[in-house]
Amino acid sequence: MITINEENEGLRAIFEGRLDTPAAVKAQQEIEPLIENADKTIILDCSHLDYISSSGLRLFLSIRKEAGAKGGNVIIENINDEIRKVFMMTGFYNLFDIRNV
Amino acid sequence: MKQLTLPNDIETIPQLNEFLDGFCEEQGIGMDFAMSLNLAVEEAVVNVMNYAYPQGTVGYVDIQAEADATQVTVTISDSGIPFDPTQKEEVDTTLPAEERKIGGLGIHLVRTIMDTISYEYADHHNILTLSKKLKKQ
Repeated sequence: MITINEENEGLRAIFEGRLDTPAAVKAQQEIEPLIENADKTIILDCSHLDYISSSGLRLFLSIRKEAGAKGGNVIIENINDEIRKVFMMTGFYNLFDIRNV
Repeated sequence: MKQLTLPNDIETIPQLNEFLDGFCEEQGIGMDFAMSLNLAVEEAVVNVMNYAYPQGTVGYVDIQAEADATQVTVTISDSGIPFDPTQKEEVDTTLPAEERKIGGLGIHLVRTIMDTISYEYADHHNILTLSKKLKKQ
């Protein structure tokens, strides 16, 4: 579901499939390394993420809040059109550095 | 009309997804619409699963989906404690990250995606009715 790799003195987290409610609950532990390294650059790679629910958004927000507090950066890469819509609806679009690469 | 009953266990959410995808496919409803509908219904059903029944007790949530020429209607009902999610305060989606609260996003998504939301408590059941207009082709 989530693969975390070190990259350029930061971390890249690759999300795959559906980040629905049960998946997000499980992912809470998996994102611990991201929270611990929130003083660095964290890339949330969503190239293979199909769907996100509010519990998935909450995970992203908790990483973003931690990075804000510790002086790190969060970059979200390659969200699909449906997820983009969800980001727009919730105002998350303005909270993150969102890139298409 | 299509009907699904789930226990108050969020692990069963993938079954809801399958159910709604199947319903949309049968009705010839497009992917965009199906995905948005899925999200709104997931949020509403998770809310019931998490809060309608006292912790550690088993309860059920019924989901009914139907469509006519103009709209899709999903009815979510449970026999848990009376709770009207439509009364929940709206989140402020313009706040910066530091001030954003962790909760309230689910109901916000339901409100944004669906065209109408109505709640009633009848015969010891919470009944939440969500509808979304189909775009004209």
